[in-house]
Amino acid sequence: MASPTASPAAPAGEDAASYLDMPPERRAAAKAHAALLSRAADKIARELPISADVDDFRRVLVAETKP
Amino acid sequence: MTDLAALSARALARAIREKKVSSVEATTAAIKRMKDCHELTNCVVTLEADEALAAAKAADAAVAKGSSRGALTGVPLAHKDMFDRKGKVASWGAKIRATEPAAQDSTAIARFKASGALQIAALHLAEFAYGPTGHNYAIGHARNPWDTSRITGGSSAGTAASVAYGAIPVGLGSDTGGSLRLPAACCGIVSIKPTWGRISRAGAMPLSPALDTVGVLARHVEDLALALGVLAGPDARDPAASALPVPDYLSHLDDPVKGLKVGVDEAVIGEASPEVQRMLQDVLAVLEKVGLAKASCRFPDWQTLDHLVQLVQLPDASAAHTAYLRTRPGDYSPQVRSRVEVGHFIGAVDHLTALRARGIYLQRTLDTTFKGADVAILPILADPLPTIAELDVAASPNLQAAMGRVVKFTRPINYLGLPTLALPIPRKGGLPNGIQLVGRPYAEAQLLAIGQAYQREVPPEIAQP
Repeated sequence: MASPTASPAAPAGEDAASYLDMPPERRAAAKAHAALLSRAADKIARELPISADVDDFRRVLVAETKP
Repeated sequence: MTDLAALSARALARAIREKKVSSVEATTAAIKRMKDCHELTNCVVTLEADEALAAAKAADAAVAKGSSRGALTGVPLAHKDMFDRKGKVASWGAKIRATEPAAQDSTAIARFKASGALQIAALHLAEFAYGPTGHNYAIGHARNPWDTSRITGGSSAGTAASVAYGAIPVGLGSDTGGSLRLPAACCGIVSIKPTWGRISRAGAMPLSPALDTVGVLARHVEDLALALGVLAGPDARDPAASALPVPDYLSHLDDPVKGLKVGVDEAVIGEASPEVQRMLQDVLAVLEKVGLAKASCRFPDWQTLDHLVQLVQLPDASAAHTAYLRTRPGDYSPQVRSRVEVGHFIGAVDHLTALRARGIYLQRTLDTTFKGADVAILPILADPLPTIAELDVAASPNLQAAMGRVVKFTRPINYLGLPTLALPIPRKGGLPNGIQLVGRPYAEAQLLAIGQAYQREVPPEIAQP
């Protein structure tokens, strides 16, 4: 049985994208950028209603269309 | 003798229809000019002269018989090489390509064909359309026809260069973070990034489906109107393609613009270099001259929008490339590989948060930014036209910051999905640059009317190397 860390479908976290052949410095830079964006997502998530839906965007585009 | 290179597609179509010039003559001239443009700019991926000339002969025969019906019958065009064409393999600007020829045309190509247009070449793009500058380490960098040491902008680099050079009057591009607007600005031409979903993306290479927008670049605003009318509309092959009626954009070109308000967000614009701010003021002066009124406006979430768009785009792009990243990682150039890797480190919940918040941020922008403005003006580039060498950052640690500055005024608009018209600055003998006018959802006709009025004061130019 393959070890979990060797699995190509490793879960997100420390072993995220373990199948990518990335040198440590590039992996660190990618993680740092993702962490910056995650902090922004955290702020947004705190104020996001549970009813917010991915399809709201298309509904607003159509609803705000002026004839 | 008519200078065919200077004609709009609309004027050329009329000349062919009225038998003042044949499609074969127009296509022969376009092929010659495209070859010259390629020598200068590296704009061509594949020249298709024989096929184009055969199609031109057929178009002339149809005109002679009186059986031509399309708005672009016999007009030679060329497009970014990322659209499926039956029996062909698009290059995607990359070493990695589809293993089988396309089974059918992309909807955009099919609609241009139905309008009678010909295709003379497949044009340069950033590798996988994932680059805002025209750099391409797989097929060579694109060079600006105004000054070959400068960038063309990307990713629709070849379309912009060949339109600016006068090889073609109009061509297809796409925009996920600025790929229609940046090359238009860099090459001194116009583009329309329509509302997300206005043009079907079926058969167009995906990068970030939540953001990808097919659009056109041209020298004349009237050609944007003509092409948008040809391309827009519902499509069973793209569930995101809007079913809203398509206006007759050409008939609205001369709609009055007097009294329309152009919103100016001084804080956001202030993030551009002083030179670009001066260029934007020059454009504003022209817009006021044609009757628009300046109004203060505010994008309430500008920095947040820049984060949100990345939370959507980066995982989307990583997902699109996940198979190739696993099987052919060595066939990516270092820069694009670095960029498509980043999305793997963004969590699914963060990605979905950005997608779920999109309607709220769009509504807030419409309620705030557009409360007292019909359109909003923004820079496209933050700086004067950069050189190819200045932005040749490959996969250096500076990559995200360098690319982030190039797209800082363009990619937040992709999150909002709003239509955007790119207009060139009055050059005054200098290098090209451009601004963007952002409109309300599906307000393309209004944007194009403003652009038409602007071009009466700042006429289209052909690049003078």
